Amino acid sequence: MNWSSLYADMNAANFFNFSFLPKYASFFVEGIIYTLLLSIVAVALAVIPALLLALMRLSKNKVIKAISGAYIAVFRSTPLLVQLYIIYFGVFGAIRIPSVYIGFIDLSRFIPGVVALAINSSAYVAEIFRAGILAVDIGQTEAARSLGMTGAMSMRLIVLPQAIKNILPALANELITMVKESSICMTLGMQELMWGAKTVAGNTYITLAPYVLAAMIYFCINFPASKAIEAIERRMRRGDKH
Amino acid sequence: MATNIDNNAVLIEVQNLRKEYNGGEVVALDNCSMSVRRGEVVSIIGPSGSGKSTLLRSLNLLETPTSGRIIFDGVDLADKKVDINLHRRRMGMVFQHFNLFPHKTVLQNITIAPINLKIMTKEEAEAKAMQLLERIGLKDKANEYPAMLSGGQKQRIAIVRALAMNPEVMLFDEPTSALDPEMVGEVLDLMHSLVMDNMTMVIVTHEMGFARKVADKVVFMAEGSILEVNTPDELFDNPQDPRLKDFLSKVI
Repeated sequence: MNWSSLYADMNAANFFNFSFLPKYASFFVEGIIYTLLLSIVAVALAVIPALLLALMRLSKNKVIKAISGAYIAVFRSTPLLVQLYIIYFGVFGAIRIPSVYIGFIDLSRFIPGVVALAINSSAYVAEIFRAGILAVDIGQTEAARSLGMTGAMSMRLIVLPQAIKNILPALANELITMVKESSICMTLGMQELMWGAKTVAGNTYITLAPYVLAAMIYFCINFPASKAIEAIERRMRRGDKH
Repeated sequence: MATNIDNNAVLIEVQNLRKEYNGGEVVALDNCSMSVRRGEVVSIIGPSGSGKSTLLRSLNLLETPTSGRIIFDGVDLADKKVDINLHRRRMGMVFQHFNLFPHKTVLQNITIAPINLKIMTKEEAEAKAMQLLERIGLKDKANEYPAMLSGGQKQRIAIVRALAMNPEVMLFDEPTSALDPEMVGEVLDLMHSLVMDNMTMVIVTHEMGFARKVADKVVFMAEGSILEVNTPDELFDNPQDPRLKDFLSKVI
């Protein structure tokens, strides 16, 4: 056996052997769309449950606090991949989603995937909300309460509008994380970017370059996005000076 | 005269108030009793850490007492069944650090509570706010945000924000302690004009001269206890408690 032939592929040119592109570009285009949809919808779905979880966690009621704490602990302490499989086969094994297509997207796969990601994300976003709320000076709540506002009213009118400033950048970062993490949905056959790369690699026997291209695309989405968030954060902080 | 009796009625009666932290490890207030009559100005003085702010903040239940009673106009606020929000509306509070709402304009700061609590319509609340701003000479700041104001202006607006609720008593928690010295005067002047209007006031302060000038009654606290209560002249000129003597020798 000629071992060197096994490594014949391993030269720099093979990293960038994008000869598959003319034929398979659509896999990457659709992959990008799928990945972005998956991430944006998952984080958007996570926002309301996360706000509820955060408020529960800040509640004085010990039972409510414990329920929220347990939820957050479970979803932050187990792998997303495991959660995805349990939700996909467990929850959506019982609740069948009909195989309806919107464009190239099969809802019977997309919905379980996006729900699993959202459930996972809500635990992280809850902590983002909690930290954002706690970062608002307690004096704001005291002033609102001393004027006779209820706890809910002071949260809604005084605390949350100020907490948003702390929350939005972290939420945008969560979206970036989700763009990367959603790649595990490939394992359930969701046609996101990583699935596209794998399929192209399988069809063309070009094993490396499709993944390199996928990495480049992820980078070109996430890096500028994170820089933009940093810039916005800096500007908001400047506007904050008293 | 009937009005006279009413004016002298006790508005706030604190009975055997105790406040513990960390399950009794720290005792912030120990068996405090005092009263505030309608129209009366009460100053609370004492070294830092003596519990003055805790006592004041207990009056509208920003601090929940461990035991004891706070009877406000006949209702025990420490009773868990009482809707504290309804009573807080009647007690204005002014904080050391102003605590204006930075995301609201000056006008919105003043009107947000009366409007949202449906005590006034938007028009009524804004008319009242403008009238109050006029009184303190800051009408032109109505649409500015708090970040644009000086400390003295912020604190005067915080006072006006509390006044907009038509409170029956005003609670001041070291209202001039966070101010640059040149701004203390304008805040004290406004407080003095409230005294002239017969507002019932409880003032935690380090401004001994002001306390002496405006107070009907001065309360001296140390280590969580009320040690002496007297008229300003008696308390400052003829202190009885050794700790009060020691305190006065240091601050005056």
